[in-house]
Amino acid sequence: MTTTTRVQMKDVHKRYGDNEVIKGVDLTVQDNEVVVMIGPSGAGKSTVLRMINGLETTTSGDVVVDGENIAQSGVDMNKVRQNIGMVFQHFNLFPNMSVLQNITLAPTELGLMSKEQAEKEARDMLEIVGLTDKIDAMPAQLSGGQKQRVAIARALAMHPDTMLFDEPTSALDPEMVGDVLGVMRKLAKEGMTMVIVTHEMGFAKEVADRVIFFGDGQILEQGTPDQIFNHPTHDRLQTFLKQVLEA
Amino acid sequence: MWLLATLVAFVVAWWVPQQEQSVHAAEQTYTFGTDTTFSPFAFTNKQNQSVGIDIDLLNAIAKREGFKIEWKQLGFDGAVQALQAKQIDAVAAGMSITDERKKTFLFSHPYYKSGTYMAVKDTSIKSLKDLKGKKVAVKTGTTAADYANSMKKKYGFSVVTFDSDDNMYQDVLTGNTVACFEDKPVMQYAIANGVKLKLASDFKEPDAGTYGFAFQKSEGELVKKVNAGLKALKANGQYAKIVAKYVGNGSQKSQAKQTAKQTESDRSFFGLLRANAGTLTSGLGKTLELTVVGIVCATIVGILVGLLGVLPNKFAQGAANTFIYVFRGLPLMVLALFIYTGVPTLIGTKVPAFIAGIITLTLNEGAYTAAFVKGGIKAVDVGQMEAARSLGLTWGKTMKRVVLPQGIRIMIPSFINQFIITLKDTSILSVIGLLELTQTGKIIVARNMEGFKIWTMVALIYVIIITLLTWLSNWVQKKVRA
Repeated sequence: MTTTTRVQMKDVHKRYGDNEVIKGVDLTVQDNEVVVMIGPSGAGKSTVLRMINGLETTTSGDVVVDGENIAQSGVDMNKVRQNIGMVFQHFNLFPNMSVLQNITLAPTELGLMSKEQAEKEARDMLEIVGLTDKIDAMPAQLSGGQKQRVAIARALAMHPDTMLFDEPTSALDPEMVGDVLGVMRKLAKEGMTMVIVTHEMGFAKEVADRVIFFGDGQILEQGTPDQIFNHPTHDRLQTFLKQVLEA
Repeated sequence: MWLLATLVAFVVAWWVPQQEQSVHAAEQTYTFGTDTTFSPFAFTNKQNQSVGIDIDLLNAIAKREGFKIEWKQLGFDGAVQALQAKQIDAVAAGMSITDERKKTFLFSHPYYKSGTYMAVKDTSIKSLKDLKGKKVAVKTGTTAADYANSMKKKYGFSVVTFDSDDNMYQDVLTGNTVACFEDKPVMQYAIANGVKLKLASDFKEPDAGTYGFAFQKSEGELVKKVNAGLKALKANGQYAKIVAKYVGNGSQKSQAKQTAKQTESDRSFFGLLRANAGTLTSGLGKTLELTVVGIVCATIVGILVGLLGVLPNKFAQGAANTFIYVFRGLPLMVLALFIYTGVPTLIGTKVPAFIAGIITLTLNEGAYTAAFVKGGIKAVDVGQMEAARSLGLTWGKTMKRVVLPQGIRIMIPSFINQFIITLKDTSILSVIGLLELTQTGKIIVARNMEGFKIWTMVALIYVIIITLLTWLSNWVQKKVRA
């Protein structure tokens, strides 16, 4: 069986004037793969993640997503993005809409589903994240963990082939983290292609097919969780793991 | 650009019918600008009609010579500027014939010999000699002001300039200045209306200046008709009758008697209110008309420019920022005068005062609106835009469904504020002669000199309207929030 390449980044750079923040990143994500990006703050993990759905621009290099090089102009980004779900650190639910409306907005506005279909879809997705009883709630009435699970349901309703998670648990109270990771674990098990930026090392160890360590705008080391966590070679990775595990 | 085009289309739609009206009239109609505050030459009487020596003379001449006059109550400065800008054909507003003005305008034969006179509160000041080291008041642009300025060095006094007679008299009454200079009939009119000033007892009248009607250089034919008519009126005694109607035989006592016929007899607050209710109501009507049309246009333009300012495009943002910078930076009055009297000179066609007023409000209030619309949109968390775009929604759909609904909530208080400011700002449009509430107030005060009572009425009307507008806004705000 041949695997499909979902994402392929080649020699990607990003500069702000003289300040180079991404210094030549090559990254490939295969279908059904779960890739976890770790590293210190400011290392460029979130920036690289956001390049995959075009929220960040690149200065040079290729970003090929589902066969389209989105680093070049003339690509219908809206089409590409329909196929990539994104979950943010601060949830970014639409506060002026109910949970149901948050989920049905994109599928109905884009003409992908009728109103009835979208509502059924919303119910199904809320079932996956365990929040069917909150369907008519407004975002302000939800806890952080619930908001993040609704955000995941919202992204899933578009039936994306790839899901991007940008520090999905960093803004949560500790007791909420488990629920969100539980949903992500379930998705990983079902074969969803996922790229995750996180500080949850235990979770990374458990679900990742591949762990990538970022430092100073570059990929310094990558491998299986066992290689990265148990046999790190790069001294910056060793220092990083020591700091994280001691904390 | 299409924004500007819409504006122009709107303007043209308004003013083409008006143009046609004046062009295709059966009898030749000329537009005359006049003052509203220069009693007894050009002012409005208690029935709110343009009256005065100038008006009556010209109406009689027009009847004789077979043409029609459309009167525009623009105020003296406004009328002169409108004539320069070719917005009107002529000015009849007690204008002195000077060499300077002859360079720009054609003048009729003189129709009145005016004499500058000095009025005082303290009768110990009798002549120019008593003014040493003191301050005197004049009204801008008058022969009397030129006279005072020519004498100040010789007699050692200084000159303070006001833009209306009313303010000039008031300054002498409060004692800031000790005397004022103005044409004698004008001053007698004021005194007859209860202004507590007296003509200086030993003042020697300087060589009298003359008043003439001023015309555009191209109106030679009209000037000939007016001159012929004036001659005929003088010959048949009608001229003398008209002058006597306003100034009697020229003495203070006689003029006072004539003045009483033109102005209100009951000078109590409610008496004045009753007498001027119609005039004030029509002024208020114009103010509301300007406010409503102004708010609608400014809001539409403001929202469009504000949206332009958040488009992900450098040129669009630049255009929006320039619009905001220019029209927020210009004082409303400068903008109004520029559009009403500046632009017509440039494009060679008239801009009606109401249209000029609306364009002024649209640009100025629109710029403020655009600034807070842009700010309101930018105040919405950038994560909202990112989340919606990540779902594959276009920029436009994201704006419409996600960002704007949130931004509008942020903007509502600013909108209400801007509506109230727009209402107040319409008062500034009185400079281009629009007969809105403030201009109405000026006109009434110029007739009866009852500044305190009339301005109290005008202020109260504004307060009441603004209170109603605030209530309405709060009600709407509650509906939107619900």
